[in-house]
Amino acid sequence: MKRYIQAFILLFFAATLTVSAQSDNISPQRKQAIDSLALEKVKDLSKYISIIGSKDTQFSEANRVMDRAEELFSPGSEMGVSSVNSKEVAYYPVRRYFERLMALNYDQVSISWYDIHYISDLERQPDGRYVGVVTVYQRFEGTSAETGLNYKDTTKKDITIYVEKKQTQVAGRTIEFWDVMLGDIRVTETSA
Amino acid sequence: MKKISLILVLIISSIKFAPGQGYPSPGQVKDDGRFAASTKQLNQFFRRFNAEESEDGQTRFNPGDARYHDRELRGKFINILFDNETSQVTKELKQEFITVVNAENYPQYLSFHRGNWFAEVSSFFTYKGKRTPVTLYMKLEEEGLGYEWVIDKISFDPFKQYFNKPEGNKKPFLHPLSHELDFMNLRKALQDGKTPESYTADGFTPDYLTLFLYEIKNGNIKFETVNGVKFHFFQVDGWYFEVNQFNRPGFNTGWLISNLIKVKNEEEKEVILKYIYDQE
Repeated sequence: MKRYIQAFILLFFAATLTVSAQSDNISPQRKQAIDSLALEKVKDLSKYISIIGSKDTQFSEANRVMDRAEELFSPGSEMGVSSVNSKEVAYYPVRRYFERLMALNYDQVSISWYDIHYISDLERQPDGRYVGVVTVYQRFEGTSAETGLNYKDTTKKDITIYVEKKQTQVAGRTIEFWDVMLGDIRVTETSA
Repeated sequence: MKKISLILVLIISSIKFAPGQGYPSPGQVKDDGRFAASTKQLNQFFRRFNAEESEDGQTRFNPGDARYHDRELRGKFINILFDNETSQVTKELKQEFITVVNAENYPQYLSFHRGNWFAEVSSFFTYKGKRTPVTLYMKLEEEGLGYEWVIDKISFDPFKQYFNKPEGNKKPFLHPLSHELDFMNLRKALQDGKTPESYTADGFTPDYLTLFLYEIKNGNIKFETVNGVKFHFFQVDGWYFEVNQFNRPGFNTGWLISNLIKVKNEEEKEVILKYIYDQE
């Protein structure tokens, strides 16, 4: 049964996203469909970050969510973090970044996202894959019960997306579809 | 079968209605307009400069769309693409620039692939155990099936002091009959001498990038971090402008024009380039 569902989903994506299989150029209509797919992945990531950061999340559950979040990324992806006071970028592998988020020393953590996003054009790389950047804004609030301290920040997240045309076999037919993977993320603390 | 239908409906609804909707739903914070106003990516700087997106940035205008390259929209956009809080660009110069690029008979647009623009990346490397600033000048080049950013030049102070070629009648030299002695005086020149660059031809310029790569390959220079990026544009005829990122409270933020200069001729352009490349 699961296999049938996967086949249906794949067909759906193929039908939606492969307007002309011969051409590698991305038409504005296809770009819109890819943008939607990319936003879905970014939404998933946002959801996972909120769960990982939450103090209500059990350790085992947070680890499971980290695994899922990692699956959104192409291998070797990094987070490059800077603050208002220091423009220098500190680099963390994605997993390490999630672990640091989970280990933050607050009794209460609230992570929310602004209702605004920006998606760049897609540019082709030398290897034929396309690359774009999705920008979103996150608000973080951490409260420490012992000290009563309340820390707040708003960060801009510029998220790399890689877009690649892939092929799969379904019932003897070759189906082409566009796949989106997340890549490096630049995290900038804003003055907002 | 019902399950399959349900899943398909869910997928269709999530994909079809994603664009233009709020992002994301759980724990959403409403933007008071500051992030919408901010020029969030350099990509948005290009789009706004050319009037290739709507005011809220959510609709991309493509060739054939009614508002693609709309003159009125461009005028509004370019006006807000300047750092209006700290830059020294006068109102008159800014207005003159806008009139030129947004002229009805000869509008000028920016192009991502057309060249004549590049990035200046400030960074830190470890060199001989010390944290040392390095400036990388990057340009976009066509390669394979697409494009890539490449390192075009570098500026690195420790290399500069190595090459200080003296000139005139006080400089060390190999006399004009050295050839008759099989250039035996090379020993004194290169083994004892402190300025071997004295013996190079007129017009010798050290290739710092090659040296830099050599040192990286030998493990003598190690990358640490990037601490700033700006962009230099020479795409508009007769003008140069610099684009910097402004991270500050308010509505005039993101990638904005921080410097604007009229360039009368090629000589003036060369002077500006020399200044940017730190080769004065």
